[in-house]
Amino acid sequence: MNKVWAVIRREFIERVRTKAFLLSTLLFPVFIAAMSVLPALLLTKAAGTMQIAVVDGSSGGFGMRVVDALSAIKRGDGPDAESQYAPVLVTAPGEALEAARDSLIAITGLSKKAGPSFNGVLVITDEGLASGRLQYFGDNAGSPAAMGELSSTIRPLVTRQRLEREGVDPLVVMRAIGPVSLATQRVADGKLTGQSGDATFIIAYAMGFILYISLLIYGIQVMTSIVEEKSNRIMEVLASSMTPFQMLLGKIVGVGSVALVQLGIWAAAAYAITTYRTEIVGFFGADPAASSNIAGMIPAIPGSLLVVFLIFFVLGFLLYSALFAAVGSMCNTVQETQQAQFPVMFLIILGLMTMFALLNDPNSPLVTTLSYVPFWTPFVIPVRYSMAPIPILDLAVSAVVTILGMLAIVWVAARIYRVGILSYGKRASIKDLWRWVRTA
Amino acid sequence: MTTHVVRVDRVTKRFAGHTAVRSFSLDIPQGGIFGLLGPNGAGKSTTIRMIMNIITPDEGKIHLFGGTGSGREHSARIGYLPEERGLYKKMKVKEQLSFFGETKGIPHKEAVRKTGEWLERLGLTDWTDKKVEDLSKGMQQKVQFIGTLLHEPELVILDEPFSGLDPVNAQVMKDVVVDIARQGRTVLFSTHIMEQAEKMCDRIAIIARGEKVVDGPLAEVKREFGHRYVALAFHRNGEAAGRVLQDRKLVAKVDDYGNSAEVELAEGAESDALLHALVGAGVGLNRFEVVEPSLQSIFIAKVGADAARAVASGDKR
Repeated sequence: MNKVWAVIRREFIERVRTKAFLLSTLLFPVFIAAMSVLPALLLTKAAGTMQIAVVDGSSGGFGMRVVDALSAIKRGDGPDAESQYAPVLVTAPGEALEAARDSLIAITGLSKKAGPSFNGVLVITDEGLASGRLQYFGDNAGSPAAMGELSSTIRPLVTRQRLEREGVDPLVVMRAIGPVSLATQRVADGKLTGQSGDATFIIAYAMGFILYISLLIYGIQVMTSIVEEKSNRIMEVLASSMTPFQMLLGKIVGVGSVALVQLGIWAAAAYAITTYRTEIVGFFGADPAASSNIAGMIPAIPGSLLVVFLIFFVLGFLLYSALFAAVGSMCNTVQETQQAQFPVMFLIILGLMTMFALLNDPNSPLVTTLSYVPFWTPFVIPVRYSMAPIPILDLAVSAVVTILGMLAIVWVAARIYRVGILSYGKRASIKDLWRWVRTA
Repeated sequence: MTTHVVRVDRVTKRFAGHTAVRSFSLDIPQGGIFGLLGPNGAGKSTTIRMIMNIITPDEGKIHLFGGTGSGREHSARIGYLPEERGLYKKMKVKEQLSFFGETKGIPHKEAVRKTGEWLERLGLTDWTDKKVEDLSKGMQQKVQFIGTLLHEPELVILDEPFSGLDPVNAQVMKDVVVDIARQGRTVLFSTHIMEQAEKMCDRIAIIARGEKVVDGPLAEVKREFGHRYVALAFHRNGEAAGRVLQDRKLVAKVDDYGNSAEVELAEGAESDALLHALVGAGVGLNRFEVVEPSLQSIFIAKVGADAARAVASGDKR
């Protein structure tokens, strides 16, 4: 047992010390922070009131309404908030329209030194209102965000204008098209859980991806490090003092604990950043109100779900790492593993696909069946558990089946590993593998 | 009563297509240095790996320390230096070594302490915190050597320990090996360099084509080999000496170097008769020395003869 412990410690310390680990561990929180700070920062940068000339060539005085609506839009809340637009109305009916438009465009998008200029020119005509195609010329016409804002301000005004022209009271219409939504609540074991359907959907999604990504990163690390040990010829030194099973166990647990530590750091960082979001955003000199609240998107995870997830995460990690270890032990170079790992990758990707199928219908027969296949229970069970109630007995059966399957796979993988680690030369064929598994 | 530290009992190992070791037996008594000699591909490493239980024999049994239990189960008592050296390249020297110690079952703290002692002994103190990949080949070999001996094993098994070492490092390691034997511990090492084996070993076994050719204490092997050699050097009348050495009644074989020669006496011939004949022919001798057969010559005679016999009998291996 002490030997296994020595291997675990070596794997853990050597991995945690690498630059790759430090970088990836730090980059993720930086990414989260950037996600919450950047939008606020970008909005702040875009600040400054937009000078817009509204050239009104329509017959109904529509230009005035647009100017009123634009002037009413403020950046942020509060009484002293800055106006987003400074609209100027230019009435140019009939023949005068084109001349007015062109002369205004000529002083649009100038640099600050060149004197006062407009950011954009909005042209309103009767035809435009009828067809729903108004023209806008501006230095910010390339910005989808600015254009989206502008058109969403104008759209209701145009709708209103059209309704009035047809003699319909706009208020009646507004009431009629008011939104309808379902307030969903999850029920488990005949009791309300207090969770909304949307929240569990996101948790389910995230959990599947965390497992998937951890397997990709750390499962493959197990595999490549075994190939390296083989090509370093250190295997023989180790094999003379430890059983292959001790080596395998130490490696998988060592790498697995690195994975858990990294996930833990990430979770803590995500929690801290979302909690202190306002302070962080403020530190960068941006308006906290404008930052997107990622914390608001992360729903509270019920404790029982977390336990189920952790249990199946660990089982899944052990199972797939053992498979990756077996693949590593039968290869001589990292290049060789690229092909050899395909069956394992296939199983993992199938697990992820199953998860998508499951999000459509958590109670379908397919999903229920997959709840008892060890390869996929780690993907299926936590997601199923979060979406629809699973009887405790079913849960226990799934867990037992997964544990048994995991032990069987680890056993087979260990037998392949035992022979594979000391075989050099040609990559093993399926027939070789079968012989390795059978030999005592 | 002698205890056998290693007892290899009629062991056979086949690999796809050929037999690497065939019905091979070996008894290694406690204490001293045992040399396992043989040409490349003779089955030395296979035998050693079977002793270490890294591969299992197809037939036969191996007993260690007079009991049952595999090499791995006794790993705390055995130090093993494989032919293919292997270290973690990215690990620091001291951590690498204490890790090796721990895999042999020594507690962490003790492993760290012993690592320090050994690094000092082999003059590697300055490299303690360096990564293995920053070390020269020779230093890496020393580190590997320490890894083998760190846990003070009773039985030290070294597969080609001196290959790739410069003379200075080879000397350092030889001293360590001799020291271990002096402490009553047992060393088994394999080599194809005969001079080394001749100087160091108490007992030897020669293996060729997977079969044992010779086995026993070095002195006995030499005596049984029986061939007597005479080393000659002459300063005058070398042509006359050449004629004397042609006499097949006296001389079985000559290695003539012009001014010196190595002579194998013919069966039944006495060295005195040869000396008499040379002096009688007026050869001016600088040197006339009856020498024991060198291990090298025993090796070539035995392995060569064996190979010849194998070919004659149509052995397909």
